[in-house]
Amino acid sequence: MALETLDTFPKLLVHHALVRGDRPAIREKDLGIWQTWTWHEFAEEVRALAYGLAEQGLKRGDHMALVGANRPRLYAGIAAAQCLGAIPVPLYQDAVAAEMAFPIRNAEVAHALAEDQEQVDKLLEILPGCPTLKHIYYDDPRGLRNYNQAQLMSYERLRDIGRERHRRDPGFVREEVAKGSEHDTAALFFTSGTTGVPKGVVLTYRNLIERSKVVADWEGITDRDVVLAFMPPAWIGQNIFSYAQPLVAGYCICCPESAETVANDMREIGPTYYFAPPAVFEALLTQVSVRMDDASAPKRALYRYFMDLARRVGERIMEGKPVSLGQRLRYWLGNLLVYGPLRNVLGMSRVRIAYTGGEAIGPDLFVFYRSIGVNLKQLYGSTETSVFVCIQPNDKVKPDTVGPAVAGVELKFTPERELLIRSPGLFKEYYKNVEATLQAKDRDGWFHTGDAGYIDADGHLKIIDRAKDVGKLADGTLFAPKYLENKLKFFPYIKEAVCFGHRREKVCAFVNIEMQAMGNWAEKRNIPYSGYTDLAARDEVYELVRECVERVNADLAQEAEIANSQIHRFLILHKELDADDEELTRTRKVRRGFIAEKYAPLVGALYDGSDTVHVEAQVRYEDGRTGTYSADLKIRDAKTFPPAAAKQAA
Amino acid sequence: MILSVENVSLAFGGVKALREVSFDVKEHEIRAIIGPNGAGKSSMLNVLNGVYHPQQGTIRFQQKTFKDMDPHEAAALGIARTFQNIALFKGMTVLDNIMTGRNLKMHCGFLHQALWAGPARREELKHRRTVEEIIDFLEIQHIRRTPVGRLPYGLQKRVELARALAAEPKVLLLDEPMAGMNLEEKQDMCRFVLDVNDQFGTTIVLIEHDMGVVMDISDRVVVLDYGKKIADGTPDEVRNDQKVIDAYLGVTH
Amino acid sequence: MPIEVVFFIEVLAGGLLAGVMYALVALGFVLIYKASGVFNFAQGAMVFFAALTFVSLVERGWNFWLALVVTLAVMVVLGLATERVVLRPLVNQAQITLFMATIGLTFVLEGLSQLIWGSQPHGLELGIADVPMDWLSQQWNINISQFDLFAAFIAGALVAVLAVFFQKTRIGRALRAVADDHQAALAVGIPLQHIWAIVWAVAGFVALVAGLMWGVRNGVQFALTFVALKALPVLLIGGFESIPGAIIGGLIIGATEKLAEVYVGPYFGGGIESWFAYVVALLFLLVRPEGLFGEKHIDRV
Repeated sequence: MALETLDTFPKLLVHHALVRGDRPAIREKDLGIWQTWTWHEFAEEVRALAYGLAEQGLKRGDHMALVGANRPRLYAGIAAAQCLGAIPVPLYQDAVAAEMAFPIRNAEVAHALAEDQEQVDKLLEILPGCPTLKHIYYDDPRGLRNYNQAQLMSYERLRDIGRERHRRDPGFVREEVAKGSEHDTAALFFTSGTTGVPKGVVLTYRNLIERSKVVADWEGITDRDVVLAFMPPAWIGQNIFSYAQPLVAGYCICCPESAETVANDMREIGPTYYFAPPAVFEALLTQVSVRMDDASAPKRALYRYFMDLARRVGERIMEGKPVSLGQRLRYWLGNLLVYGPLRNVLGMSRVRIAYTGGEAIGPDLFVFYRSIGVNLKQLYGSTETSVFVCIQPNDKVKPDTVGPAVAGVELKFTPERELLIRSPGLFKEYYKNVEATLQAKDRDGWFHTGDAGYIDADGHLKIIDRAKDVGKLADGTLFAPKYLENKLKFFPYIKEAVCFGHRREKVCAFVNIEMQAMGNWAEKRNIPYSGYTDLAARDEVYELVRECVERVNADLAQEAEIANSQIHRFLILHKELDADDEELTRTRKVRRGFIAEKYAPLVGALYDGSDTVHVEAQVRYEDGRTGTYSADLKIRDAKTFPPAAAKQAA
Repeated sequence: MILSVENVSLAFGGVKALREVSFDVKEHEIRAIIGPNGAGKSSMLNVLNGVYHPQQGTIRFQQKTFKDMDPHEAAALGIARTFQNIALFKGMTVLDNIMTGRNLKMHCGFLHQALWAGPARREELKHRRTVEEIIDFLEIQHIRRTPVGRLPYGLQKRVELARALAAEPKVLLLDEPMAGMNLEEKQDMCRFVLDVNDQFGTTIVLIEHDMGVVMDISDRVVVLDYGKKIADGTPDEVRNDQKVIDAYLGVTH
Repeated sequence: MPIEVVFFIEVLAGGLLAGVMYALVALGFVLIYKASGVFNFAQGAMVFFAALTFVSLVERGWNFWLALVVTLAVMVVLGLATERVVLRPLVNQAQITLFMATIGLTFVLEGLSQLIWGSQPHGLELGIADVPMDWLSQQWNINISQFDLFAAFIAGALVAVLAVFFQKTRIGRALRAVADDHQAALAVGIPLQHIWAIVWAVAGFVALVAGLMWGVRNGVQFALTFVALKALPVLLIGGFESIPGAIIGGLIIGATEKLAEVYVGPYFGGGIESWFAYVVALLFLLVRPEGLFGEKHIDRV
């Protein structure tokens, strides 16, 4: 086959099988043991699967859905579809059945690879509404023994059919692979979107391969790197690091044993290259904090002392800036006693480059990881841009920016401060949605991100909020709700916050408490509670949240532009915001508009000065039953600071 | 019939725990024994795995009749069980606990083991694989290395089930597997019991105090009251049986 | 090297090596305690009995290896018999009852050994002289006994074997299971008696090794039964259920008592070696009652 142009993933796969056939391509922990597939083995698996799919009727231009967690077989499925010129459509494995119906109908999916019974059940449920879906392959046969739907076929069977076809018809898949070109569609990623129906983002091989390569070269990513894949493979933020970039750079990805074992698997594998949204970093830090709270007094003192030191000098040492010898020595000791063991517990001992993105990350959280010697950096991008738009360079990392543009990317802003991007990674179109495509991508090829921000003095991009969410208070000053919410969420006790203030004279907020941290806090103080709702209503908890809000206010008072956005009143919601109730997106972003509508009486009470507000809500229990919850929620005032007095208060 | 109980009576001193109880268990079914507190359910289970020896009556297991069986012998015959108040090795890890369930399947001699010689090591690995499959099946990979004593109750129950499964039993006796669990844990346990029955073809005899969940997963149900069998049939038959309703109404929950 | 440093090293090394010998005895206690929860008071008597049997056979002209194998067989049989005759009938009795039974066993063993082999002391030779290592004394002027090093090596090997046995094998796991919960062990088909018999046999084997080492050191005489008393502080420090604990505990006791004797002793007019170990153990009890490696028993509420 002509390999002079490695312009599609199947061609890259064949290439790796040739040049590093015995190096690990993908590992999975199964039955307690890390099983390794070399590039050679993986390529063979993909080939057999591609033959099987061809035999089942999958052909160039068709779409194939893939639903499941990170498993070698899922990635083999993606590659196999691409071998035939078909287009993989990875779907979120935690989506409910109804959410899967749209992409499957929209892309006229006929073939689907499902991980297990759970996913098969969902596909079977939507089968009546998705007449195109004809074949469902499943990886794990457990519980499926008595299913006799004609559409079902096991992964093994599919592969066997493929091997059979390979014997009869050798060369077919090779020819199909050779037909592929860089302008073909590589994959279709559906974005959940905060409003409206999902949109299928069409990305070409060129989009994904060019971006992956530029960043791999810039960061020095090689085939010796190791990545742990633990976020949904349907998310571009996972897919680019566990499929596109490994195929470009030839590094090995590892699939954890189960969602619960990720922390442990990470310690065993010791990834060198790591990407996770801020929520994951936050959860990890929360675990560390909780454990430290339970540790003995000397350990706590040691931890406090060295973390203090790390905050002062850790980052400077990592960036190679001048630090006094005494501090260097103490940091070295701290590394021995605290930072090293801590990185080990986090599974980050070998991490060379860690990214976070998709959401703003709290400065404290961000600095924590950097100060203990984890090279955590922010990146900016989205599905439409094949992820990589901006990345912080190793020696110039600032907690509140996302870094300068990656090579090849052009940035500019509209008068409303909306960020526009032009890049080789820019998507082709939204699938079968000309209108949306025209809205997002103008005639000159600029992508309208919908994010508001500016370039700072160092040339770094700073994102404030979604452009449409940036509003104005009644007095005309800037109101950036997400910016405020993030500031609140940076406290370990606050899980979610929703701020209101557009066209109002002041800002008020809903708060969700973080159950683990707050529960621990309550137990320490012998505050009894029976569950989330009960704990959330406690006066002591309200008091703690009020302190957090006031600290945010003191902070805000220091920034002239947003000093008027201080939070005047707040309440703690009686339930946790949940993606299943459509209050959050699948990537856990709050849907502010939906929440404002759903809880209109509560918002009203925040602004009409009442001390309590009555709620009566339908609650869905975990077993699926529903019940009614009725109580009075308290509303509290928080102290605000005049911009001038802020310095003294803080 | 894989297991049948014929006219079993058991008394402790003057207290009659079981009075002429007879019932049978078909291969591959889920058989529940229910009844109010003190009905003799636990005694029945203890008779089945040889902890108690009935004064009267016999147990037939796979066409063989037994009168005095001890627990070790029952285990060797393929009868494994779990306990109402969890009898795990609290100081040992989940993995070690489940491995003890393989004890009867491992045969390498003392000398080989004392020297940690090849055959002993190979045997260990072979059994480890079976155990890992069970760990995978019951979704407890994340606690593999955790000492059992540190686990929450619901998970301990699951580990105990895993250990019983490790013996690859023909009949699995579950002593109030759902007791003390919250609704979600109960549903999980039900799913696992059904999966075990389906996947491994294990015959399951379980006793429960509560009529609720058991009725949904059992093929047939025996009802005991004051040591006597008062009903025997499908869940629906039993639910509508007047004697059963009376027995349960007489008990305050 | 300055003479003070050389002297310190000698004392420390001597202490650590003596500690290994204590650990050997403590090991016997740990094994039985782990598996059956019984504090076997007769361990000291078993050590004495083993050494006396061996030395008497050798003195009667038996081949060294033959005598060793026969003694081992005797110790295993003794262990099995103890389990069968003394402990099995007492199943499910209170711990104190079992403890009393082992005290009884001590007297029986002591009486029995003197009845069979007589009561005069014997010397014991294993072919490794209790003389300083040439190389060390020439090179560094440090005097460390060749035999002490040998004993330490044997003890180390024994511990390694036992550790693997306990952690990695079916029987080892069964031993730990039985130690953890008798009832549960029965239910999964682990035969209690079988396991106990193995433990007692192993304890007999350990007693033989300890008896040989101590026999060379102090001569085979009635006083050998008292080395068991030295194992007590070792157990208090290391924890009753931990094999590594027994080793570390032994080393700590050995080193501190020798150092104390040399550097602190003179202020007390000497002779503190015999009781200093207990002081150390008591201090430990105050700080960490479960021992260094002991298992904390947290009762779930």
